[in-house]
Amino acid sequence: MMNKTSLIALALLVFMGFYPLFVDSAWLAVGTTFLVFSVVAFSQDIILGRAGVFHMGHAMFFGMGAYTTAILNVHFGWPILATWAPSVLIPMAFAFVLAGPIIHLRGDYLLVATIGFNIIFIQVLENDVFGLTGGPNGIFGIDIVRLFGIEFASQTYMYYMAFILLGIALFIMRNLDKSKFGRAMFYINKDEIAAQSMGISIRYYKLYAFIVGAGIAGAAGSMFSVQYSAVSPEAFNVTQSIMFFTIVLVGGSASLPGVLIGTFIMFVLPEVFREFETARYLVFGLAMILTMILRPRGIWPVKFGDIPSYLKKGVK
Amino acid sequence: MSEYILEIKHVSKYFHGLVAINDLSMKVKKGQIYGIIGPNGAGKTTLFNCITGIYTPEEGQILWKGKEIKGTTPFKIAELGILRTFQTIRLFAEMSVAENIMSGRHIKSKQKWYNGIIHTPAYYKDEKENWEKVGELMAFFNLSEYATTPAGDLSYGIQRRIEMARALAAEPELLILDEPAAGLNENETLELTQTIRKIQAMGVTVMMIEHDMEMVMSLTEYITVINFGAKISAGLPAFVQDDPVVVEAYIGSDEEDEHE
Amino acid sequence: MDIFLQQIVNGLTIGSLYALVALGYTMVYGVMRLINFAHGDLVALSAFVGLTVYTQIFGEGITSLIAVVAVFMFTAVIVAVVGVLLERLAYRPLRTAPRLSAVVSALGAGLVIQNAVMLIWGPNMKIFPSEIFPSTIWAIGGIVVTFTQVMILGLSSALMVALYFFINRTKMGTAIRAVAIDQDAAKLMGINVNRIIMVIFIIGSALGAVAGLFIGAYYRGITFDMGWMYGLNAFVAAIMGGIGNIPGAMLGGLLLGLFNAMITGYISTQWAETFTFVLLIVILVFRPTGILGEKVAEKV
Ligand SMILES: Nc1ncnc2c1ncn2[C@@H]1O[C@H](COP(=O)(O)OP(=O)(O)O)[C@@H](O)[C@H]1O
Ligand SMILES: [Mg+2]
Repeated sequence: MMNKTSLIALALLVFMGFYPLFVDSAWLAVGTTFLVFSVVAFSQDIILGRAGVFHMGHAMFFGMGAYTTAILNVHFGWPILATWAPSVLIPMAFAFVLAGPIIHLRGDYLLVATIGFNIIFIQVLENDVFGLTGGPNGIFGIDIVRLFGIEFASQTYMYYMAFILLGIALFIMRNLDKSKFGRAMFYINKDEIAAQSMGISIRYYKLYAFIVGAGIAGAAGSMFSVQYSAVSPEAFNVTQSIMFFTIVLVGGSASLPGVLIGTFIMFVLPEVFREFETARYLVFGLAMILTMILRPRGIWPVKFGDIPSYLKKGVK
Repeated sequence: MSEYILEIKHVSKYFHGLVAINDLSMKVKKGQIYGIIGPNGAGKTTLFNCITGIYTPEEGQILWKGKEIKGTTPFKIAELGILRTFQTIRLFAEMSVAENIMSGRHIKSKQKWYNGIIHTPAYYKDEKENWEKVGELMAFFNLSEYATTPAGDLSYGIQRRIEMARALAAEPELLILDEPAAGLNENETLELTQTIRKIQAMGVTVMMIEHDMEMVMSLTEYITVINFGAKISAGLPAFVQDDPVVVEAYIGSDEEDEHE
Repeated sequence: MDIFLQQIVNGLTIGSLYALVALGYTMVYGVMRLINFAHGDLVALSAFVGLTVYTQIFGEGITSLIAVVAVFMFTAVIVAVVGVLLERLAYRPLRTAPRLSAVVSALGAGLVIQNAVMLIWGPNMKIFPSEIFPSTIWAIGGIVVTFTQVMILGLSSALMVALYFFINRTKMGTAIRAVAIDQDAAKLMGINVNRIIMVIFIIGSALGAVAGLFIGAYYRGITFDMGWMYGLNAFVAAIMGGIGNIPGAMLGGLLLGLFNAMITGYISTQWAETFTFVLLIVILVFRPTGILGEKVAEKV
């Protein structure tokens, strides 16, 4: 089983690595956005799939990262590289401040509160607060990454930057899963009372999930704004949040392959079926219902039991 | 400091105005195995929930090593060294046995906040130590063969062992067991009795609710009997067993209580 | 002062609509612990169904009480059938699944209904016939009240009172409350849970249908995707009142309607939604289970 999974992963890695060589520019952009969205979906999965927090406003953190880069670059002339740290840190700070007062709410109340944050965020963007966010049109003319005189301008560069970003995100996810922090999130998710009775602070680990998730989404947002050299509110609205939410559940909560599959289905497939413009979302909705009925835990559900091998010796 | 590790003083707990615990007091000595018995619905589990911070009693005091802990959140109670099992088993059902027991290592793990993102040599050392401890506990509770099995797939008796292993993994000073023998067969009950003795020998104080009279009588050093939330008798097992008030309370209640 | 009174009338009108829709959310939540994300789209659907029923069957330009009553009845029945189908096909198979799976199914169902409406009636805004209600207007001391508003307030209040009595005074209502408290216990007492859930969907969808028709009559312009906005506001109202709680949904709806009207009347329309959600979050910070929602301690 493990072997088969690694084999698939390797094949996928090779495919993704050479992808830019045999596609046109439109599909290259789709590929880049797929990578960026996967990163956002993974960060959503930390909050929703691992910590089990009903969070339906994740596009907000994605958007905060994007707008941080856009504002600092376009209005204040910062080079893109210099905007990376703030585009991670600002969403993290907001995650802490916003989630703090509501994190104790029961699931569905939290769901609507996070939708609310997302809607407020969009209104802030659309109303061009302090003349910084550019209103409904957003911000144009975001620079490219420049380092040592090299200009990372082409779409191929964008693709590989997103590729590296996904690598970093996967590295963090793996480290999280193998630490006391990731495990604490699972315990809370499965049974809050049992987890507390083992000495786990629900509040601390839910906030931890929120903050880490927001930071990763922010990084993806920064990448996204550079890829399109523009940002606008509708890329970060509640509909997008619902998409990230659905990606995780359709693919499989807390499952790395599951979330990738989810992103592919929810984002790439609709691109493939672009010609069937009118009917595609109807089919899409049906597919969502069917998937959940046939695979309530997602297409590729998480598998537990990844423990050190010396503990498996006694297993028959 | 007094010889009592846990003191419960005039504790009362109400649900919707109905009294579940009524002016209850008791003292548990360090190193003791302390029994709590009483008919179903007497308020025994509620008492444990008050001690572990799941509920906050409206009246009275709960002193842990002389310090008031009433109203403290459950996770801090666990950090203080009070760990428990549940009458209705509460394992992380989809997770493996080893991962379940690992949750008990949470408060002992020394990982830093950044170890959730990046691993350091100190992290690897800590992680290894904790997993090794899980391995020891699986061996102690005869669970090694189920290390990777989802806890929810196992039999009742095994699940009870996992819950104890999980609580013990936190190296508690006080272990609270809510009907540990419920649903076990005779053999398993015998094994459990020996296990609890071994736990006591490690220096752990044990408080247990149990309906299996034979087990309670042979194991505990002191017993409090509760009925309708109030203490009706207390003393050495031999005394409590013959106390007419206790006999009365049990006869007055349903037969099935003894088996549930 | 005039603006104030006028906004109270407007606010109560919108609030009644929110309340009607909120009842659908809260009743489903009460028995199934499910946020029925497709409910808002049912509301939108009913506006279109009503439009078609009215124009196709009665022909445009007819204002008669019988026609109006027939449109309401017909639409309510059709939408109730859709609601029951929705439960059968999208929710019942997921009753024992993880809770969020049903949420995704609900989101999918919403997409299906919304896009079906778009395919049938087209993507452009449709105009609801103005003559469905008389265009009578009353001007009372500087404020204006339309016939439609009076109808909305009157019929919504009547429906809510009827629902209140139905839930609290009838055998079926008692069964509904029993299922809401404990499904397993209700089952043991011989209550047919599936039937109760069907009744819930019939009532909830029918109330939503009435709201959808009123939205058409009041705002005139209807779009296939308008369900999201009304649904979200109503859902917020249900949460404010305490989800699962029927008087809470009514209270939440009226409160939100009034609050919206005051904000748009006095402060800003640009920031209306922000104010809505700030109010919601403030309420939840102080009352984590809504205004009338009860805190249930989990039995351990
Ligand atoms: N969360 C709760 N809400 C309401 N009543 C409760 C709750 N927990 C316990 N009770 C009530 O308190 C009483 C004592 O219950 P419990 O402590 O479980 O009894 P025991 O463990 O002795 O069998 C019972 O009447 C029970 O119904
Ligand atoms: Mg009990």
